[in-house]
Parts: sequence; C-alpha cells; structure tokens
Amino acid sequence: MDPVLKVEGLRKSYGSLEALKGVSFQVEKGEVFGLIGPNGAGKTTALRIIATLLSPSDGRVTFLGRDLKNEPEKFRENISYLPEEAGAYRNLKGEDYLEFMARFYARSSAEEEEFLNRARDIAGLGARLKEKVGTFSKGMVRKLLLARALMTMPALTILDEPTSGLDVINSLEVREIIKKFAREGLSVLLSSHNMLEVEFLSDRVALIDRGRILDQGTSAELKDRYQAPNLEVVFRSALK
Amino acid sequence: MKKFFNLLSKEIRELVTLQLVGSLVFTFVLFYFIGQLARTEAARASAPQKIAALDLDRSDVSRGLLDSLRSVNYLIEPASGSDKEAAVEAVRRSAVNFLLVIPPGFGQAVSRFETREVETYTFMRSFSMSATRNAAVFRSVVAALNKYMSDAYLKQRIAEIPPENLKNPIKSRDFVIIKDRQAQGSAGDIAGFVFGQSIFVPIILMMIIIYSSQMVISAIAMEKQNKTLETLLTVPIRRSSIVTAKMLASGLVGLLSAAIYMAGFRFYMRGFTGDMQAGAEVSQVIEKLGLVLDAQGYIILGVSLFFAILCALALAIILGVMAEDFRSAQSLIMPVVFLVLIPYFISFFSDFGALSLPVKLFILAIPFSHPFLATQNILLENYQAVALGILYMVGVFALLVWLAARIFSTDRVLTMKLRWGRKKVVL
Repeated sequence: MDPVLKVEGLRKSYGSLEALKGVSFQVEKGEVFGLIGPNGAGKTTALRIIATLLSPSDGRVTFLGRDLKNEPEKFRENISYLPEEAGAYRNLKGEDYLEFMARFYARSSAEEEEFLNRARDIAGLGARLKEKVGTFSKGMVRKLLLARALMTMPALTILDEPTSGLDVINSLEVREIIKKFAREGLSVLLSSHNMLEVEFLSDRVALIDRGRILDQGTSAELKDRYQAPNLEVVFRSALK
Repeated sequence: MKKFFNLLSKEIRELVTLQLVGSLVFTFVLFYFIGQLARTEAARASAPQKIAALDLDRSDVSRGLLDSLRSVNYLIEPASGSDKEAAVEAVRRSAVNFLLVIPPGFGQAVSRFETREVETYTFMRSFSMSATRNAAVFRSVVAALNKYMSDAYLKQRIAEIPPENLKNPIKSRDFVIIKDRQAQGSAGDIAGFVFGQSIFVPIILMMIIIYSSQMVISAIAMEKQNKTLETLLTVPIRRSSIVTAKMLASGLVGLLSAAIYMAGFRFYMRGFTGDMQAGAEVSQVIEKLGLVLDAQGYIILGVSLFFAILCALALAIILGVMAEDFRSAQSLIMPVVFLVLIPYFISFFSDFGALSLPVKLFILAIPFSHPFLATQNILLENYQAVALGILYMVGVFALLVWLAARIFSTDRVLTMKLRWGRKKVVL
C-alpha cells in the first residue's frame, strides 16, 4: 500500500544556515508518526514545509501520490496543521471560529454541520463555545484548535508540539483526544521534544537532530536497537 | 466564491470591534457638539451688536453720526449716567459689551476739519471665540463713522459731485477667463469660493487612504500577533484570495470610518466657517466658467480615488507582512502617511504647475498624488492628465499586487520582518 506521505531528501536553508540536511521518512495510512528531537533540531521546519508554509530548498514531498511543489492547494484540502504557537481569532466566539474554519472544507451544509458536531465533541467546551476566544484560557484555546484540526478528519493531521505550554491535566486530555482519533484510523504526523509523549502517541518515530534523521522505527525497535529503557535514553545513545 | 466571502466576512468582523465602533461614535458626537457650540457662538457674534453711546457733544454732527451707525445695523442705546465714569459703570453692570463716548466739542472741531478722537470701550467678559470677534466691532464702527464724516465733508465742499466719485474715481469691470470660457466676475471671489468648496477634498482623500492602509497593516499584524496567520495560510483557499479579502475588508472598513470621521469633521468645520453658499452673482459666474463638478467629474474623481486606495492597500499589505505585531504595525504605516502628506500639503499650499520639473516628476511618481491633482484638472478640463494619472496608478497597483501575491506565496510571508537597527535571521 502507498504511504500517505513520503518525504525524500528534504533540505532547507536560510542563507548560510542549513535547517534540514536531507530528511527522509514516510507516514503510512492510519499511522501516528512522531518526529522527536531537541529545540532547533528542524522538526518545525520539516512540518512547515509539509504544511505548505515553506518551500523546500531541495528534496521531494509527495502526499497521496501528488507532488507538493506542483499542487500545494490540493495538499491543503486534505491536510490539517496545528502549529506549536497557534492562536484563534480573539474577537470571534469559539463556535464562530469553528464555523469559519469548517466552511473552507465542507462541500455542503450537512457536511459543515457534521464537522461542527465533531468539533464540539472534541473541544468539550460546552457553553463556553458561545463566548469570545479572547476570554479562553490557554488550555481551552488549544482544545479548540485541536478540534478545528481534527473535525474534518483530514487525510493527514500535522501536529507541532500539540501539548506545548499546557498544564498536566490539559496535556493528558489533549493526548487522549489524539490517541482516540488515531485509533479511528487518522494518519498523524506529530513533533515534540517530549519523548515520553511521542512514545505514548506514536506507532513509529524518527529521531531528528541538527537537520538530520538519526534513526527511525517503532519505539520497541529503537529501544531494542539501543538497549534503552525509553526513548530519552535511545535519543542520547543515538546522538553518540 | 463561498470560501472568499467566508474569509471576507471574518476579516470585517475582526476589524469592526467594539473599540472601533465606540471611538467612531465618540469622535462623531464630539465633532458635532463642538461644531454646534461654535455655530451658536458665531451666530451670537454676527447678530446686530448693541452699543451704548454717551453723547457729551449733543450737536447735530454727533446725532448724525449715531444715526449713521443705526443705518448700518448697529443697535445704539443711550448710555445712562451723565459723565464717562458713570456710563462705564452702568455698562459694566449691564449685558452690553460696547460703549462709545463722543467728547464735548466734537461737532465744532470736525466742522473745522480737525481730527477728533471718540473713545471706545470694549468690555471683555471672556476669551472665547465670540469675545475675539467682539474685539473687531469697534474697527467697523470707526470705519463707518469715518465714511459718514468724509462723505459729509465732500458734500459740503463739492456739492455737485457725488462723494463716491471723488473717493474712487476709477472702477474696474473684472473678467475671468478659463480655457476658452470667459465670464464677468472677480478672480478673488471665484478662487475663494472654489477653494472653500473643495477644501474638504484633500482632507477626505488623505483620511481615506491613511485609514484604509492602517486597517490592512493592522489586520496582518494582528494575524501575526495572535498566531493565526500560519493556520490561515494552510486552509484550502488561494493566497491571492487571502490578500484580496484583507484588502477589500480593510478598504471597506477604512472607507466607512473615514466617512464617519469626515461627517463629524464637516459639522465641526461648519461651526467655524458657516455653510459656504455663493451669492447668486458668483454662482452664475462659476457655472458659466464650468467650475462645478458634474456627475461625470465626480465619477472620474471617484475612479482616481479608487485606484489610489487600491495602491495604498497593496502597499500596506506588503508593509504589513514586515510587521511582527500590532505595535510595530503602527510604525510601518509611516511610509504611507509620508507619501500621502506630500501631495496633501502641495495641494494646499502650492501650485503644482509652478513647481520645477524634478519636483513635479517626484510628485507624479507618488501614486497618491493623482487624486489630489485630479479635482483641479477636472475643473480645468485637463482630462488627459487625469487619465494618465489613473493609468499610472493601475500600473503601480498591478505591480504591488503581483509583489504582494508573490510574498504571500513564498516563505517571505512568514520570514520577512523589518528590524530597525539590528539584523536577525528568523527561522
């Protein structure tokens, strides 16, 4: 079976600074693939390229068999991207924000309503959705954004540090939502510097540092390969 | 189109905040009340003035003088009190602001063609606008008295010649020529009326252009500050639609804001200048010379303004991309403001035709100059200049939109930042 996403030799430079030095990996259908690495490893740059925000300096990204370079708009119809430091429009009510986003993807009003119902379930914010986003806490905004990202059941969901800046309870809730949708067959590409989180969520992971993939495989394979009890130790060993 | 209108509606909802509506309403109401207050004060000051007169001369000459003042619409009341001090005290206690004292022996002295002083007392009870106008009342009174006396002298000495003929033996019949049209009238009156009628045009142009630009820069800066831009750029809609929706929404809200401000400003200015109405004579001359903007003129001016706004919005979009947040957006509007202020001041204080060629070319290179110059060119039927200006703006707009669309289609929309005094690569 063809992978949902195939990344080959991806490079990205900002002047003399090389952020990605030939990154390759692929995400299979219904798989949660995690990119783990420290801050500045190139995770966000890779995700931004796949989300069509940045153009690669070299390499190839194919999504459902289509080349990203040639058809970025087709890409956007089938992906959903949640940036690390994303926000929502503060002057819109939570419900209006979801409606605004749903209208870009829905082909009919029935489908729009289906998206909105799913989003309400995911966000779990109840009556607070009738209030302006500006009044929401950081955890509430993150849940709203996650609901926005998942409501359309995209072919690929890209989550950059999905629990970044959240407290323990909110982080747990967000992880549970992602896990639930992954079980329903959603393909997810996520990044995190929290290796335990990635281990919990991902079917396969890639270790990335200074723009290079150090190794990749399932958590069990990697732990076995490096004789390590968890991914944090795996990562330290891979760096050596 | 459904996606575009969805985006447009969001942009408008984001821009029309409670703070914006509140500030617009507050400014409008404030301008309206200041204008009304000024109008009331002006009406009070221009009403026939009451003048208390103490005639210590009691001659035919002094009585004639006071009658002459009554004939030019002053309300002359005899001052109570038999001497100057008592009269001053009496007027001080009354609501009258002016006292005229004609000294004893005044009639005899002027009969011998000697100059004599009358004493004028202005009671300043405040320093408001009407008090300032009061200061000028006695200048008109003394001018009226001098006219009356000089006419009387001339009649006495040269009875067979009307005094007016002696004082102003030469009169002129004034003609004004504009292009191939000629009409009898004063160039000063016509220029004054046209200036008075079109004084608002540059102010309106400036406000609309600056407001719209500020809106679009703020719209992009807010997307960056609220971290919503990245998400927006990954939704399935063309980047050019994002640019267009932001420009259109900002243009509409900017236009509406400027219209509300200008309506308030017009009330404010009317309070000071009154309703500018031309006399029948000036109106006829203006019509004969074709100095009235007809429907076609307004359409041409509107087209010129429309393209100037589009140029401003496209430039503002590019500047907005460089903004890091709402605060930095405020300083990024400055290039647009400067480019609008230059033609604004030129249109007010200078004659474009009299400028040197390099300065003219510089002014013409600024796209916003063209609507400022358009009013005069339309009135003077220089349609070719207006058309060339519009064509130039279309070209500049196309170039700026192409540039904006390029920026939005590349990494630059996320990585382009203007940093004053320090250089930093943003990943």
